[in-house]
Amino acid sequence: MNYSTAVQLDKVWKRFGAVEAVRGVSLHVPAGCIYGLLGPNGAGKTTIIRMIMSIFFADEGQVSVLDGQDAAAVKDRLGYLPEEKGLYKKMKVGELMTYFARLKGIEDREARRRADELLQRYGLGEWRERRCEALSKGMGQKVQLLITLIHEPDLVILDEPFSGLDPVNRDLMRDVILQMRRDGKTVIFSTHIMEQAEQVCDYVALINKGKKVLDGSLSEVRSSGGRAAVLDYDGDGHLLRDLPGVAKINDSGKQAELLLQEDADAQQVLAAILGKVQIRRFDLREPSLHEIFIRAVGGADDA
Amino acid sequence: MRKIGLVAWREYMDNVRTKGFWIGILAFPLIIVLSATVPILLTKAKEARNYAVLDHSGFALAEVEKRILADDLGVVLEAAAQRYRDGSQAWDRLPSPVKAAGRVYVSIAEAERQALIAALAVVEADAYLADEVAVQVPELAAGLAEWWRQVSAEELDALDLELSRSRYARVAVPDVPDPQAALSQMVNDGELFAYFVIGADIVERDEGCKYVSLNLTDQDLRGWFARRVSQVVRARRIEREGIDLKVAGWLQESVLFKARKVDKRGSQVEISSVDTARQWAPMVFVYLLWVAIFTNSQALLTNTIEEKSTRVIEVLLSSVSPFELMAGKIAGMAASGLTVVGTWAICIGIGLAVVPGMLGGKDASFGGIIVDPLYLLSFLFYFLSGYLLYASLLVGIGSVCNSLKEAQNLMLPILIPLMLPLMAMVLVSQDPNGTFARVMSFIPLFTPFVMMNRAAGPPPLWEYLATTVLMVVSVYLAVRGAGKVFRIGILMTGKPPRLREIVRWMVLKEGVNPSEGEGV
Repeated sequence: MNYSTAVQLDKVWKRFGAVEAVRGVSLHVPAGCIYGLLGPNGAGKTTIIRMIMSIFFADEGQVSVLDGQDAAAVKDRLGYLPEEKGLYKKMKVGELMTYFARLKGIEDREARRRADELLQRYGLGEWRERRCEALSKGMGQKVQLLITLIHEPDLVILDEPFSGLDPVNRDLMRDVILQMRRDGKTVIFSTHIMEQAEQVCDYVALINKGKKVLDGSLSEVRSSGGRAAVLDYDGDGHLLRDLPGVAKINDSGKQAELLLQEDADAQQVLAAILGKVQIRRFDLREPSLHEIFIRAVGGADDA
Repeated sequence: MRKIGLVAWREYMDNVRTKGFWIGILAFPLIIVLSATVPILLTKAKEARNYAVLDHSGFALAEVEKRILADDLGVVLEAAAQRYRDGSQAWDRLPSPVKAAGRVYVSIAEAERQALIAALAVVEADAYLADEVAVQVPELAAGLAEWWRQVSAEELDALDLELSRSRYARVAVPDVPDPQAALSQMVNDGELFAYFVIGADIVERDEGCKYVSLNLTDQDLRGWFARRVSQVVRARRIEREGIDLKVAGWLQESVLFKARKVDKRGSQVEISSVDTARQWAPMVFVYLLWVAIFTNSQALLTNTIEEKSTRVIEVLLSSVSPFELMAGKIAGMAASGLTVVGTWAICIGIGLAVVPGMLGGKDASFGGIIVDPLYLLSFLFYFLSGYLLYASLLVGIGSVCNSLKEAQNLMLPILIPLMLPLMAMVLVSQDPNGTFARVMSFIPLFTPFVMMNRAAGPPPLWEYLATTVLMVVSVYLAVRGAGKVFRIGILMTGKPPRLREIVRWMVLKEGVNPSEGEGV
């Protein structure tokens, strides 16, 4: 790794007419980590990503990548997979990948070699000479991901990478993200589904209504939320209400997250549940990101 | 710059693979070849129109026949004279009676030629002819008459002349008690194209003269025949009133203004066919220019929208800046347009090398103009600048639209001005340095077409310079403006903005949210 800070945002503002899309966001993304940009739809994640990619420019504040450089100057070292993506339908798959590699400054022969190799490795070898319009949706998604990686970027930014993927590609996406970290690269991805972030992220930032609500390493963020228990059960969830020592319950029907009061005794809580529903699992842990996010937003929402 | 080149190259290759590109390349030579050959083939294929004449006057038809012969002889002799002057091999191929008459025809004054033809066709006495010509007439006439009688239709076709004989064929009136009814029936059955009835008292008045036909659009035959009957009747009237033929001829003579032009030294010069071609060539160039500019900038708009609708755009923008993308696209399409136009130029070049031989050298004048650097260079410059201007406007529009349908509304204000130079083409050609043409030249949207159109003038140097400067500035502004619109518009989804809003983008520095209503 030849840099220590992947991305740095300092009090960045972005306005579109009367709409304030990003309001004074500061972020620090250390090198070599998987960084999750979390928040509901419309929170400003895509705008932040586009500013990091120098597709948009901040109205105020500083955006820099790879140790303080201007993103426009180091575009070739960045990989970007937008949420809305597509391929040139009439181009051949191999040609298309070569073209994008060359746009990233890879020399022609090397670009061809890499396109071949990647297509082979991901089982699309026989598609090289076929037109993109012939690809199935899943294969198209794979090719888009390969395009993001073909120039071996130091920093990859994925906007909602899991949305719309089939289970096979979802696993592939996760493997790629983890492999990138093993290779010492940095991955930033945005998502509005907290569970995805919890599974892979080293660091997260929670964004809501254009503002940063919380950020830090995953464990820091989670431990800031107190204690909780996860309960897998069968039976009538209504019976779980008003348990002693439980401040709040997020019930999903078969699973419930119990947020414990500060002085609550987990054993007493468990005892109180016994007999009300059939318990399959009772797990003490930190609250979910979802819960933390809801709490943080509830407290910090000044809009 | 390297990235612009890559984008341009992809754009070019992408375009070369479309059908439209090859249609564009082939269409022009095809149109040229077709427009050169089809009318000839059609005329050759056109069957002679059958007509019949019911002559109640007793003399008119016979006289008219002589005049028809005179007209055809006139065409034959004029063609012979042309070949004699050109000294071409075509002269040698002419039959000897025609050559004999042709030699005499060339040797006499223009005024006498009509008289010679009239005399040869035995229409009138050889009143105007000089004695030494007149003595030759009987022998020449006999030779021609003999040739005319036995010459086959194929041989006449080979001469490639516009003869009445091959256009209209007279059919005899059937010998029945009611010939008019029979003729009407023949018209109905399609055996006759038309028939004429000549009134009995035609010298006095045209009562009873009729033209009967089912075809009301093709009036050629009617006019052609009526003109000749009028000539005959006029001759009769002159004769009856005892007016001297020379006096009558003089009375009927129209006044002819000979076309001359003035050269640089102020002396008068005859007008050659090159001059005529020079007047018309700009229009051909304007039309080509228009087609080339229109099709290429239109294609650019289409594929910008396609790029947007297939969502390739954002991936592209992570590698190139919006301006690089736009510049690359415009350059790639320009290259593809130049390829098409260049191919046309090569086609024209080859055509000019081959065709004049086929046409007997008389159409080479147009070639001289096409290779004229003034025309070629200005065509190239006006193509590039005009294309850049329209391409930036259309690429800007393409960038804010998500479908061609949306684009059509926004394009209207650009397409209408694009039509104007075509509509004004004839007007500008007629008066290349008139106020209208000059004003039009200074409107950048029209400059390329109108200045090309005026090339025959040609416009004064200062106008060339001024319009060129204006054009370059407008292209610069258009590309810059388009760059701003493109930057915002290209990521825009949903309803396209109003024109007013687009203009605001060009002026303001403020960011505009391209993905209104979507995840920001």
